Amino acid sequence: MDKKLKQLKEDYMDIPIPDELDFKVKKAIKQGRKSMKAKDNKAKIRKGYIAAASVAAATVVLTVGVNVSPVLAKGLSDLPVLGGIIEVLTFREYKVDEKNYNADIKVPEIQGLENKELQNSLNEKYLNDSKALYEQFMEEMNELKEAGGGHLGLDNGYVVKTDTEKILSIGRYVVNTAASSSTTFRYDTIDKEKEILITLPILFKDDSYIDIISENIKSQMREQMKSDDSLIYWIEGDNNDFEGFDKISKEQSFYISPEGKLIIAFDKYEVAPGYMGNPEFTIPTEILTDLLMGDEYIK
Amino acid sequence: MELDKQLEKLITENEKSFYRLAYSYVKNQDDALDVVQEAIYKAFASIESLKNVDYIKTWFYRIIVNVSLDYIRKRKKELVNYDEYILSNDSGTEDHYSDIDLKQSLDSLPEKYKTIIILRFFEEMKLEEIAQVMDKNVNTIKTWLYKALRMLRISIDEERDVKNG
Repeated sequence: MDKKLKQLKEDYMDIPIPDELDFKVKKAIKQGRKSMKAKDNKAKIRKGYIAAASVAAATVVLTVGVNVSPVLAKGLSDLPVLGGIIEVLTFREYKVDEKNYNADIKVPEIQGLENKELQNSLNEKYLNDSKALYEQFMEEMNELKEAGGGHLGLDNGYVVKTDTEKILSIGRYVVNTAASSSTTFRYDTIDKEKEILITLPILFKDDSYIDIISENIKSQMREQMKSDDSLIYWIEGDNNDFEGFDKISKEQSFYISPEGKLIIAFDKYEVAPGYMGNPEFTIPTEILTDLLMGDEYIK
Repeated sequence: MELDKQLEKLITENEKSFYRLAYSYVKNQDDALDVVQEAIYKAFASIESLKNVDYIKTWFYRIIVNVSLDYIRKRKKELVNYDEYILSNDSGTEDHYSDIDLKQSLDSLPEKYKTIIILRFFEEMKLEEIAQVMDKNVNTIKTWLYKALRMLRISIDEERDVKNG
């Protein structure tokens, strides 16, 4: 080999490998696998919700009857029914506070729904998800400690995106602040009057929303990239290097803003490089009007 | 073996190569680690797009290169300001360290030529593999490789001429 090339190669091979590379690679693989599974499972899980939601619809008549009689209602629930306050509270908090290892996990709990089935299924999910995160954190912390140390940070909590008379949108986030800076959001939107979980398929007459929303998002992406070249989205077809964003899924993550706008949300890495964070797109209501089941949610 | 298992094997067995490649673009440890993690994440998320398992290696290299270039693109704006700062503080005298000169001559190549040199000579890939990584035909890669070598030699020779002269 040419002498200069040899020298260049030596320099290249001398690039120091950080100790934490192996750990971070393993962690990224774990996360990558999870996202793979999440894709597969998403459909299954949501199907369960729809079933729960339709049960809710069936029991509405009954609960209205219960509501009329406060005495009876009180007997069924230890919460005061007055005004039927549906709210989100912090049910439990887990904390790890050691040098280099920090976790803060806040588990939300929804209260005040008459539809106990829905309420319990959501609260159970919230608790289980947080528990799993906590256990994973402890496991990784111990692995790291055995491996000679490192940093780990986890911030898991929730934000109430919308809380109007009609709608409650709650977003739960997971931020890995050290080993890899990933953030994910999971949203649930509840119709507080009907006490059902709102899903995209429930909002729309048929599946045509998928294409129409997807096209709108793609044009928003292109516009943003045009006006600022430091912004990058991966769009299928525009970038032939690997799979880019083509369509939202039927059960794409979303929430409804207090103004009644539909917000489509993506995870980090889902449609853009990591530094772009968790992209969100507000879908103009005009393009949805003909597709919506009604105008009670999206305005 | 299932696709995701093959991917995991490929990544864990070659993690140092991937890190070095990422580092050669982004030039700092934190970003290089980020690039590797992001590429892994991206690979698992889009594993269905891999049609032929024979290409898994070059496919993953391509993701590393693309994520690295995304990072550089994002940082370019910040770097413009940095360059201006450096230039305004440059006294005009040249320091000579042969190692650094060599490295800089590699870094002074446009990205595609640099990528070819790294993949061909440091990662010891075949031209066909490089063509897959860079999504170009082999002839284009040959042309670029020739050009890259020429550019490299010229820039190194120039340095020597300056020093000897």
